[in-house]
Amino acid sequence: MKKLTSREDLERLREKLKREAEQVKRWVAVCSGPGCHVHGSGEVAEAFAKEVSEQGLEKEVKVIATGCHGFCEVGPVAVIFPERYCYTRIKAEDVSEIVSETLKDGKVVERLLYTDEASGQKILRDEDIPYYKFQQRLLLGQHLHIDPRNIGDYIAAGGYSALAKALFDLGPEKVLEEVKAANLRGRGGGGFPAGIKWETTRNAPGDPKYVIVNADEGDPGAYMDRGILEGNPHSVLEGLIIGAIAIGSPQGFVYVRQEYPIAVKNMQRAIDQARELGLLGENILGSDFSFDVKIHMGAGAFVSGESSALMTAIEGRVGEPRPKYIRTAVKGVWNKPSNLNNVETWANVPLIINNGADWYTNIGTDKSKGTKIFSLVGKVRNTGLVEVPMGVSLRRIIFDIGGGIRGNKKFKAVQTGGPSGGVIPESLLEIPVDYDELDKVGSMMGSGGMIVMDEDTCMVDVARYYINFLSDESCGKCVPCREGLRQALRILENICAGRGKEGDIELLEELGSFMKDASLCALGQTAANPVLSTIKYFRGEYEAHILEKKCPAKVCKELISFFIDPEKCKACGMCVKVCPVDAISGGKGLVHIIDQEKCVKCGSCFTVCPDKFNAVIKLSGEPVPEVAPGTKIKKKAKGEKKCKK
Amino acid sequence: MLKELQEASQMSQTDVLLKGLEVLGDYVAAESGESSLGEKLRELERVALQHAEEIRKIRKKEDVIRELVKELKDVDKIIDRHNCDPSALIQILLEIQAEKRWLSKPTLMWVAERLGVPLSRVMHIATFYKAFSLEPHGRHLVQVCLGTACHVRGAQQLLNKVTMALGIKPGETDSDMKFTFKTVNCLGCCALGPVVMIDEKYYSDPSVDEIKKISEDLE
Repeated sequence: MKKLTSREDLERLREKLKREAEQVKRWVAVCSGPGCHVHGSGEVAEAFAKEVSEQGLEKEVKVIATGCHGFCEVGPVAVIFPERYCYTRIKAEDVSEIVSETLKDGKVVERLLYTDEASGQKILRDEDIPYYKFQQRLLLGQHLHIDPRNIGDYIAAGGYSALAKALFDLGPEKVLEEVKAANLRGRGGGGFPAGIKWETTRNAPGDPKYVIVNADEGDPGAYMDRGILEGNPHSVLEGLIIGAIAIGSPQGFVYVRQEYPIAVKNMQRAIDQARELGLLGENILGSDFSFDVKIHMGAGAFVSGESSALMTAIEGRVGEPRPKYIRTAVKGVWNKPSNLNNVETWANVPLIINNGADWYTNIGTDKSKGTKIFSLVGKVRNTGLVEVPMGVSLRRIIFDIGGGIRGNKKFKAVQTGGPSGGVIPESLLEIPVDYDELDKVGSMMGSGGMIVMDEDTCMVDVARYYINFLSDESCGKCVPCREGLRQALRILENICAGRGKEGDIELLEELGSFMKDASLCALGQTAANPVLSTIKYFRGEYEAHILEKKCPAKVCKELISFFIDPEKCKACGMCVKVCPVDAISGGKGLVHIIDQEKCVKCGSCFTVCPDKFNAVIKLSGEPVPEVAPGTKIKKKAKGEKKCKK
Repeated sequence: MLKELQEASQMSQTDVLLKGLEVLGDYVAAESGESSLGEKLRELERVALQHAEEIRKIRKKEDVIRELVKELKDVDKIIDRHNCDPSALIQILLEIQAEKRWLSKPTLMWVAERLGVPLSRVMHIATFYKAFSLEPHGRHLVQVCLGTACHVRGAQQLLNKVTMALGIKPGETDSDMKFTFKTVNCLGCCALGPVVMIDEKYYSDPSVDEIKKISEDLE
């Protein structure tokens, strides 16, 4: 494509691309996000392309492989425009029918539609599916129209118009004012107002100034940023360029973790395409503003997502945090003023510039504006990415959008904010989700991970999990974090193994408050949250582990035993076959018995025992009943009796 | 007599004659006090073999050095792509890791030398980040996700299953260098947990048999 040297050039290109798009009668957006990808959307997209060409529909039908639509649970998903028919769980075999029926003739393939579980009805359009109905997909909604590998799609959908507006209509000061007025708060976790950060960097002495995208999405259980970077890299890039205009920066960085190879590839391609079109580089769109961007890959360290650590890593040194008496906005990369924002924060910027701060502040709560994307995962029925306006309740997210808990289990808690956040129990499900409310209940917004836990999740184990994670990821530079985590882990491991002592809970609380006060960076300061919040809301579970040596959720290996209920065992032999240590005995017609001495508690027998029998049960805090070897199974006796009747 | 000797020793006539000559030579030499032709020959043979062994060793060393030079040349290519920029150190190491599947000591020394940074800093980075390995990795990488979403859905059981299927523990590489088995914090496909990633492909909670099948299908 030819380099654009003016705003008019951009608009002309947009018009041309739009006209081209109008030639197409129907188009299908095949989700190629992380979730659908695993479900095999690659083959589905290929099949679409092949079928369309085989049926000679290339002129009237377009196939685009898009970023994440959000509803990963039912992937691979495809939405057919302009009708917005939504097909779920598509297989490559289904494609030829979709092409000949829907794409060609607009007829619906009934069996591929989403079935609403509550009403049992088929739902035609994606927007009417409950999962999407309660969302406001300002960012994720864009994904459906854009092939992330094609800058043309982004431009046709209105992309880079905010950049032109910022360059030619607003200028740096007004851009800054707009973002400040919108009260856009950092989506990476802290919730610090982006506009104020920008202003600090802009006013700080020293040149050049840098702008940085933090795409080191390290929270386990969160993949919002991956979704955006893979699905719409240009929105992040456009936001970054606008930020650079406001701040007066000639150089930007995208710090993205190497665990996201597709995100790296799509972002690099986006940068190259933008540069080729003159949207990056010298004299952007013919203006006197010049700016360029470089990708820096993270090499796998959670602590490197911390702002000072991330900037040290960009310099090519080990990404460890430093004391922040002077903020990175003032002294960051190579001691120059550096503004760091998270992927989602940057992606919000073009929306604000295009629609104005007034529009933006209408969405959300008093102090938290706009939408927020959450990765709704764990034991919830509908997993995926969810974008809702700030202020909706947790209940709405988990039960209306998420469809409640899987397998008819009971909800126990939801964990937000990753390793820095905490758990929230059922009694608090009505709280509106925004930065301040989540802080109040001892958790935090964080980057948007929302891990739903049911009655089978042990809260002490969850705390142990996070502390183990953090202890592994602590850089070890400051003592409170390094040693505090190590000691906390030891205590938690003891509790989980049935070696907990009275006073352990209090000790954990004391350690936690000390780490909060004395650690160098946010990793250590917030590290105790998972422990403190689980103690706060689930103290009873801790006490059961310590005093009764019992794990109520039957998770902690050392505190449980597997037992085969002689009343239920049908001697099918499944468990005998699968046991890795040959701990299960019992032949044909004989009740299978687990040798508790040999059992390594791998849970294989529990998994394979057929649902209709459910003979393998977990016991905790009670002795394992003795069953005499050679006991016969009960099935026949019962059957005979019934026959006689 | 020649025929008798030949039959008894099962040697060819020529060999018998030659052997006879050798014995005769030894006999004459023993009288004159000089070393025999046979002995000289044997001595020469011994020296020749010694030289051959030396040459073989040198050739082998040459091979090793050639291999090392090739490795460092590949490293050079990567360093040159980054214009020998010390701030690109982590990126350079990432690319080397991706290409060579590990960071050898000569590589690390060479990177330090070319970029003009102390070896200690290179080692600091190579040992700090999870992506780097100071031991050779297998041809295929198996990664079990231990993210929170996977954890609450039974990542531990999946870890056991993969251990059973591959016969190696997390952190290990099997003896024929086929697999390296690692755990990772989060692969970012939380909706499908628990997840294992084998090379570029993700699998949602596969059974032991499925993992075995996948691993056997790989080269």
